[in-house]
Amino acid sequence: MQIVASGLTLGAMYAVSTIGLALVYGALNMLNMAHGAVLALGGYVCFYAMAVLGLPAIVGVAAAAVICGGVGLAIYHLAARPMLNSANFETQIFIATIGIGTVIENVILRLFGPQPKAQPLNLPGALHIGHVAIPLQNVLILAVAVAMMASVAWLLGRTRAGRAIRATAQNREAAQLMGVRIGRVYAQVLALSGALAAVSGIMISSLAGLLPNVGADPMLKAFVICVVAGLGQVRGAVVAALALGLLESAIQYAVGVQYSFAILLVIVIAALIWRPYGLFGRKQVVRL
Amino acid sequence: MSLLQIDGVEAGYGAQLVLRGVSLTLAQGEMAALIGPNGHGKTTLLRAISGLVRLRAGTIRFDGQRIDGRRPDQVVAAGIVHVPQGDMLFAEMTVLENLMMGAYLPEAARRQAERLEQVYALLPKLRERSGQIASTLSGGERRMVGIGRGLMAGARLLMLDEPSLGLAPIVIDQIYQVIAGLRDAGHTVLIVEENASRIAEHADRLHLLDNGAFAWVGSGADLMSRPEILATYLGG
Repeated sequence: MQIVASGLTLGAMYAVSTIGLALVYGALNMLNMAHGAVLALGGYVCFYAMAVLGLPAIVGVAAAAVICGGVGLAIYHLAARPMLNSANFETQIFIATIGIGTVIENVILRLFGPQPKAQPLNLPGALHIGHVAIPLQNVLILAVAVAMMASVAWLLGRTRAGRAIRATAQNREAAQLMGVRIGRVYAQVLALSGALAAVSGIMISSLAGLLPNVGADPMLKAFVICVVAGLGQVRGAVVAALALGLLESAIQYAVGVQYSFAILLVIVIAALIWRPYGLFGRKQVVRL
Repeated sequence: MSLLQIDGVEAGYGAQLVLRGVSLTLAQGEMAALIGPNGHGKTTLLRAISGLVRLRAGTIRFDGQRIDGRRPDQVVAAGIVHVPQGDMLFAEMTVLENLMMGAYLPEAARRQAERLEQVYALLPKLRERSGQIASTLSGGERRMVGIGRGLMAGARLLMLDEPSLGLAPIVIDQIYQVIAGLRDAGHTVLIVEENASRIAEHADRLHLLDNGAFAWVGSGADLMSRPEILATYLGG
């Protein structure tokens, strides 16, 4: 029960950060290597708003989402858009976003220093179910993550903008021929991905603390999840994220923390040998 | 006045020039066909009209307005719909969702219920299949969805790129029934077709595209009386 609770929390955090990555890959064929840095930035913005400016938690989270959404927009307009028509777009944007990520991390380092900081957004207390105690912080994280995923599902499934995003991901040229302005879709997707990264960064740092490179590990896992689910598969990514979170906490409990990532990777490799296009992936050529 | 007027269009990909000075006019209610061997610019001309390929020279006017240089979504908004070669459906959406994407722009969205009924009347098979995921359809059904999706926009000019390509003869017959229905309903249509003798029965005019320029223009009856053209360009 304890394992399931912490596994679900972990998985839910992974899911929120992975959705952003999967959406961007699905729509633009772009691996956003700055995602981890945006995640960290979100954590720091919330920290600054709450600990330094003394603003309430909801304002901190909103500020982080808005600023990171803006960073996503900037990544689109300054990096992705000028390269879109290039034949080597995927490679170029991959390298460019590594650079952007490094810049963001160093700006954070310069502003806040290398010492770890505690995320002030913290809910004390625990929920007792029988003899199992689940920290309220985990309950909060789970609730927020579910709400975020439900909103994204609603956006993609029920709104006009969401239909345009799905159409662009499934067939870019056909979407254009239906009258979808794909440049706008790309900008929306990157902004949304930035905002989701911010929320995910706040959740992760509220458990793990804040460091300029706090996003590196979740981003790596988000990539693993994306690849396992099939690149660009949003729904698959959520399922894979939850499975990975549960698996990770089970391995940590049964074998030990130091083995968890290695064992995860072995399972991932096995899964990819079994289904090279990802568990939910279509047969398609990914140029990299 | 002509609905579509193309003057001296040149376009290509990278260093390669595909269209070398193409001019064409199409009046309201006409059905014109682009015929000729593969790789001579038929598809590129449609892509140039719909804004997917940039012009190197020349102009394209639609209803008197210059549309060259516009983005694809602006060309759709102007009233031109391009049904691309090889279906290009949204593979993970249902038939109905695909059709609704055809009415994506606000003006079309307002009339989507009425248009959907028109599309179902023309393509009754789509009503039965409306809940099915597009990638699970047969080749002929996919083609029907592609045409239906194009009609949902309520365009004033419909461009069809090889609607019968790769289909079984019996399915081609069905597609041609739909094409005849479009013409009878007064749609203005520009259609790319490999099978010249088949489209010659329906189109008001045929344009033979050879190496990026028109080598011959005439009616279907003209074409049938010119066996040397059929033999040279169209393999009999």
